[in-house]
Order: sequence, then C-alpha cells, then structure tokens
Amino acid sequence: MPGKSLSRWTMAWFGSALLFLLGACAMALFGLAGPGEWSRGAGMAVVHLFVLGWLCQVMLGALIQFVPVLAARPLAFPGLALPALAFSSAGIMALAAGFLTLDGHEALRPLFLLGPFSIGAAFMLVAVTVGATVLHRACLRLAEVRLVVLAMVALSGLWLSGAVMALTLAGTRIAVDLTEALPLHMLLGLGGWLSLAAFGVSYKLFAMFLLAPEQGGMVRRAVFLTAVLVVALALWALCLLLAGRSGGRAVSVAIGLVPALTMIYLGEITRLWRSRRRPVPEANMLWSRMGLLFLALAALLIVPGWQFGGVWAEAAVFVALVGWLSLLTLAQMVKIVSFLTWVQIFAPRIGRQPVPVVQKLSDARAVASGLAFWSVGTVVGCLALLLGSSGGFLFAVLLLTLGALGVMRELIAIRHLSHLEPAERPACLPHLVLPFTFSRARAEARS
Amino acid sequence: MTEAVPDITRALRSVIDPETGRDLVAMGMIYEARFEAGTAYVTMTTTTRGCPLTEMLRLGVETALLAIAGVAMAEVRLTWDPPWTPERMEPVP
Repeated sequence: MPGKSLSRWTMAWFGSALLFLLGACAMALFGLAGPGEWSRGAGMAVVHLFVLGWLCQVMLGALIQFVPVLAARPLAFPGLALPALAFSSAGIMALAAGFLTLDGHEALRPLFLLGPFSIGAAFMLVAVTVGATVLHRACLRLAEVRLVVLAMVALSGLWLSGAVMALTLAGTRIAVDLTEALPLHMLLGLGGWLSLAAFGVSYKLFAMFLLAPEQGGMVRRAVFLTAVLVVALALWALCLLLAGRSGGRAVSVAIGLVPALTMIYLGEITRLWRSRRRPVPEANMLWSRMGLLFLALAALLIVPGWQFGGVWAEAAVFVALVGWLSLLTLAQMVKIVSFLTWVQIFAPRIGRQPVPVVQKLSDARAVASGLAFWSVGTVVGCLALLLGSSGGFLFAVLLLTLGALGVMRELIAIRHLSHLEPAERPACLPHLVLPFTFSRARAEARS
Repeated sequence: MTEAVPDITRALRSVIDPETGRDLVAMGMIYEARFEAGTAYVTMTTTTRGCPLTEMLRLGVETALLAIAGVAMAEVRLTWDPPWTPERMEPVP
C-alpha cells in the first residue's frame, strides 16, 4: 500500500471540519452571531461549531497525520482515528444544539450534557494515539514534540473547563463562576491547545516547505518554557476555579505572557524564513506568512482586550481564530491535501516513470484568490467588531464564506487531479473524503 | 559519488524529490553510490527522518537501479547520520 505510514482518515477529518466551517458561516450569515451577541445560545453554538468543529477537528486530524513525521515513529493505535472522529463530530453537534437551550429550546437540554462527554471521549482517543507515539525519551528531546505534548495537556484543561461550564449552564449541581471560567477557557483553547499545537507542527512543516535548516537552541527553549508557564498558570487557575476560589490573578499573569510568547515564536520563524533555500515560497507558505501577521495583530489586541474587555476582547479573539489559526490551516490544508493525493497516486510510480511535482496538483492563483477573500474578511470582521457594526460583520462573514468556498473548490479539484494534463491522470481517481467507497466496502464485507 | 559508474548516477538522477522537482543527487540525498560485481550499493537519506515518503523513495531508487543494464541486484540503505541539511543541495543551475 502506498504511504503505509500515512493515516487513512485524514481526509475524513478535514472533510468533517470543512462542513462544520460552512455550517458556522451559514449560521452567522443568517444573523445568529455578531457583535455583542456571543452570549446568546445561537451565538455560542456558532462559536463552538467554528472552534471545535472546524479548528479542533482539523488540528486533531493533522496531528494524527503529522505526529509520526515529528517523532519519526509509526502512529500508535491508528485504528482509534475513526472512532475519535465519530465521537468528536457527534459531540460537537450535540453541544451546539445544547447551547440552544439558552434561547428557550428546553427539549435540547439532554444534548447539552451529552456533548461534552462525547467530545471528551474523542479527545481521549486522540491523546492515547498521539501520546503512545511520542512519549519516548528520544522524541521528547525534540522541541516540536514537546510543544505538541504541552498542547495536549492544555487540551485536557480546555475540556475540563468547558465541561464544567456546560454543566453549569445546563443547571446541574456542578456550578462554577462563569465570568471567571470564560477567559480561562479561552486561554486554554486559543493560547494553549490550538496555538501551541500550531507552533509545534509549524517548526517542522515550515522548515520542510521552505527548505530551511531546522533550528533549535535558546530561542526554541525560551518559547517552550514560556508556554509551560502559561499552561501551568492556566491549569492552576482551573484548580482554583473548581475549588470555588478565584484564579483571576493567575489568568492575568498567563494572558500577560502570551504577547511575549508570541513575539519570541515569531522572531524564530522570521529567522527560519530568512534562512530558507527555496527562493520563491509556495502559496501555502506565502499565506501562512499572512496568518503569522494576524498572530502578531492578535497578540497586540490581547493587551487592550484583557484590560478593557468588550469589543477589544472580541476583536482579539476573532483575529486569533479567523486570521491566525484558520488562515494558517486553510493555507496548509491545500498543501497537505496535494501531498496526500500525490502519495496515493504517484508514489508507487517513483523510479518507474516520470511523475509530476506536488505543486502541479493545485492552482496557486485559485488558492490565492480564496485566501485573499478570507484575509480581507478577517480585517473587515475585526473592524466591524471594534466599531460594533452588525452590518459590517455580516459583510465580513460573506467574504469569509466566499473564501472558504473558494478553497474547498480547489481542494476538490486537487482530489480530482483536475489541474493535470489528461495523460498524467490515472484511470482511477482517489476518493474525495473516505478511504473507500461504500459499494467496495460492501463487496469486501460479503467476500 | 563514484564517477566511474555513470549509469548509477544517471539512474539516481531519474528519481525526483516530488516537493522540489529536483533529482535526489541534486538534493544531496545520496550519500554513497558504488557498483561491485553486478550489485549497485546506494546509501541515501531523506530531508527529514519522519518523511512519509521514505520507504517509497527507497523502493523507487531500487527500481531505477535495477532498470540499468548490467545491474543484477540493488542494495539501498537509508541513513540519517549525518542528517540532511539544505546545504547539501547542489546550486540551482
């Protein structure tokens, strides 16, 4: 089998995540989310479809794919990827529906309780497969692996804080102070889990895609130690929250460290960019660079966001989720899907016949157009949130939706090998999302 | 590289790195290539130790070597010591 070290379910994770992204965009286009409306049930549902459904699912799918590359070891328990995806998708839909309880849809209350546990089961399955792959002395010496492990620790805190918040909102006996819990929950999710996992994976992927020497040393250690401090403070604050005490001071210090952590990371990535041997970076890296600029903007907005809250906090979180994490994800997804498709089709031909290069599978201009819509949508959305303009935010969501649809169209073209000459295309195209067709699976089951 | 065995080099240059489009010799991924008594011996690396293409590149090199007239057997060994760095790449012509 070509690419036996590759996970079979990556395309399914990506497909599911993209559907959640479109769902969140569609709900926002119907006016269910916008400036100052995030605490409504529908607004919370949109946010969680976006963050859990889109960003978390992509990150989990990408980790299952790339942890073997980071650790140079085969993935442990690869069979857990599918049940994790099923638990994750079901849990996210249940949680999003459960949030509608806050808008008076009482019949959905049981889903509010079910969602966190299904999501927790998914997180645990991924933690088992990732943990069993990387928790070895030789792997833990690698900075990128250590950051991913730290991100998984933050993920456990994210889940615990989210679960107790859901139980509180559902009116169970377990209750925490939601005003204390919310910034902590966002810190663990955004600054802990998602950003640290992105930092870790980017160390390896950026060096590979830019043909840059892999760096290490003091700066990378400084990033890791600052990140450890942020996560430790957040987990300490979580313990205090669960004990019914205030962890506000620990959260303040942790949030204060985030801009410093970001700047050290960006400094190192700038050095890596300058030392590259690839003179003209491909579209995925050029647009990832834009994502890094949004990361810098988000880090700057955190300061007034934490001090004044309100629109500043909304703008900081929006830029981090949409500009930094989503743009980076969309840009790299084009490359990852191209690469996985190439491996599926052309890897067995290496050394036997001419093969196209990976970048021939995508159209850089189509990718750039989709990601440009997304980037402009991010800027418009940030300004709309700062100005409290619902109309402006709706326009931003429209731009983001167009951008996402553009990238999705390109991803489908890549899977169908549409950009290759007819002579270069194989007789049998790869499946779009699942690693098999149902008719073939039924035939195999019968035999 | 053993200049006395040009056919081996030519075979190795027919295998490309799909990321850059450059052949494995130009990428600096071939550490040793020699020919002895009908057998081609190649020691190669990949750009990163966990590269998902590792085994496929090794098999591709083996196939390309066995396609040369006079090569009865091919032994392709992978190593990451020393690790590959971009400095190993040949300058772009």
